[in-house]
Amino acid sequence: MATAREVVLEARPEDIDVLQDVVADLWESEPGVADTERMRFEMALVEIFTNVVEHSERAQHGPPRRRVAVTLTVDDDRVQAVLVDDGRPAAVDLSSVTMPDADATSGRGLALAISAVDDVSYERDGDRNRWTVTCRRGS
Amino acid sequence: MTDIQVTHSDHGLGVVTPAGRLTMVSARALTEAVASLVDQGTSRVVVDLGETTFIDSSGLGALVAGLKRCRQAGGDLRIARPTAQVTAVLAMTNLDKVLTPRASVDEAF
Repeated sequence: MATAREVVLEARPEDIDVLQDVVADLWESEPGVADTERMRFEMALVEIFTNVVEHSERAQHGPPRRRVAVTLTVDDDRVQAVLVDDGRPAAVDLSSVTMPDADATSGRGLALAISAVDDVSYERDGDRNRWTVTCRRGS
Repeated sequence: MTDIQVTHSDHGLGVVTPAGRLTMVSARALTEAVASLVDQGTSRVVVDLGETTFIDSSGLGALVAGLKRCRQAGGDLRIARPTAQVTAVLAMTNLDKVLTPRASVDEAF
């Protein structure tokens, strides 16, 4: 049976901590999820949420901030996060993301998210951005 | 909340210990802690990651920025005691080549 958590966050740095607390709570309810899967999923989720925060802050510094509805689901075969925000469209082509060189001080977020989990996708859905992070279990 | 402690070792090293999560929330504080050590004349710095439960790309960026800052001043930045998650992230980003983990703060230099 699936376990889910839903939380609506503001696109601001402090809410990264709130999100990670929700993830920790989810694992408490789902002790069967392996450590490596928890780690991979949380890494990708934090990177995608941080990406939304960064783009939100660039578009408009300070309130009113974008709201991000996050749904986390654990099924027998996968752990998934869906993040829906009401910001401007994200100009991103996930197929062209590469890991920067070792001396870069930024730009690793999406590359890290993509390499951590089985699938990261983005779509514009009406006036919303929708990100989906999927980590298969037992893979 | 991430607490970033700064101390000096007997051998003249700066030791920075971020406890908790090292993300966008705390990355700037880490960058500033290292910059402040360098400004005060300590350019050999160990970041003790033994109490860092989670690091993301922002935290990695702060480590790379700190490394550059220390090297520009003729020193170096090394990391010690990474947890499993930190080790995994370093490998995935190929940063384990430039930020080689050391087993302890004492063995870092």
